[in-house]
Amino acid sequence: MASSKASRLGEEVWKTRMDKVNAELVVLTYGTIVAQLCKDFDSDYVEVNKQLDKMGYNIGLRLIEDYLAKSNTVRRCSNFRETAEMIAKDGGQVGFKIFLNIIPTITNWTSDGKQFSLVFDENPFADFVELPDDGRAQDELWYSNILCGVLRGALEMVQMQVEAHFISDVLRGNDTTEMRISLIRYIDDELPPEDD
Amino acid sequence: MVVYSFYIFDRHTECIYAKTWLPTSASSADTTTTGALTTTSAPRATSSDDAKLIFGTVFSLRNMVRKLGGDDDAFVSYRTAHYKLHFYETASSLRLVMLTDTATLSMRNVLHQIYINLWVEYVVKNPLSPVEHKGGAGVRNELFELALDQFIRSLM
Repeated sequence: MASSKASRLGEEVWKTRMDKVNAELVVLTYGTIVAQLCKDFDSDYVEVNKQLDKMGYNIGLRLIEDYLAKSNTVRRCSNFRETAEMIAKDGGQVGFKIFLNIIPTITNWTSDGKQFSLVFDENPFADFVELPDDGRAQDELWYSNILCGVLRGALEMVQMQVEAHFISDVLRGNDTTEMRISLIRYIDDELPPEDD
Repeated sequence: MVVYSFYIFDRHTECIYAKTWLPTSASSADTTTTGALTTTSAPRATSSDDAKLIFGTVFSLRNMVRKLGGDDDAFVSYRTAHYKLHFYETASSLRLVMLTDTATLSMRNVLHQIYINLWVEYVVKNPLSPVEHKGGAGVRNELFELALDQFIRSLM
């Protein structure tokens, strides 16, 4: 899909078809979840990251259907670059745009076209957030890790197995918030079980 | 227009929803089509066999269509002397199949609407419904069934 068309699509879907909720409600709800996980797992941040990813995965499995329905996507992406553009594309996004109204930048492609980064200039989840000052959260907790899971779950439903993780976060004092996404493989159609 | 039956198959090729609209006695005046359909479907195979047969058919046809016409080509429908089968597949590998009488025009749009307005709204967005619908779990909820029945009847 031409990029201008993708950008119009993202803008239009966001404006006309999405129900909006108060951003602070989202921030506080998400913050509460992370805080509760930190409490439940005794500040075992590695485990918290894992749980967030799992929750995101389950969200992604469903969210993709809403995405396909709202964006009227009928056709599969022909390559991983096109996929990246449908997730987030300069000048008007599709995936992130219609759900979060943000526009991550796609960058740092590997030469084989199987890995790229999403750089988040803004992150609606992280408003008002300061990581705990216990000397470990800064190094271990990926606050927005739920997003990795969402992408993993959503792409799995459209037959792409991917790996996604954050490699930097402004909350940790990094200059940018960057997520790395790698295509592991395309999943084949499942065949009906043999009869007789 | 007459809709005979409707099936949903998930990405694991399992039939997770099947519904038939049996011809009412009033419409049996039209013996050529309804008569033929009731005799072929009623005494013979069970409905789960029907679903398997249908899936096998549409799956093979879809693959054949893609092989001949390229990956962008889509299998839409086929017609026999007695019925017409309509097929719609989403990017998430959900397959919707509908059997109607032969005079019906393309139902692609109708199947698309069922996906957008009924499936996504009442099944996917139901927070308590499972993600995988093994054995049809989560699909047979009242909202979805009622809305589907209403929607199909509004077409007839």
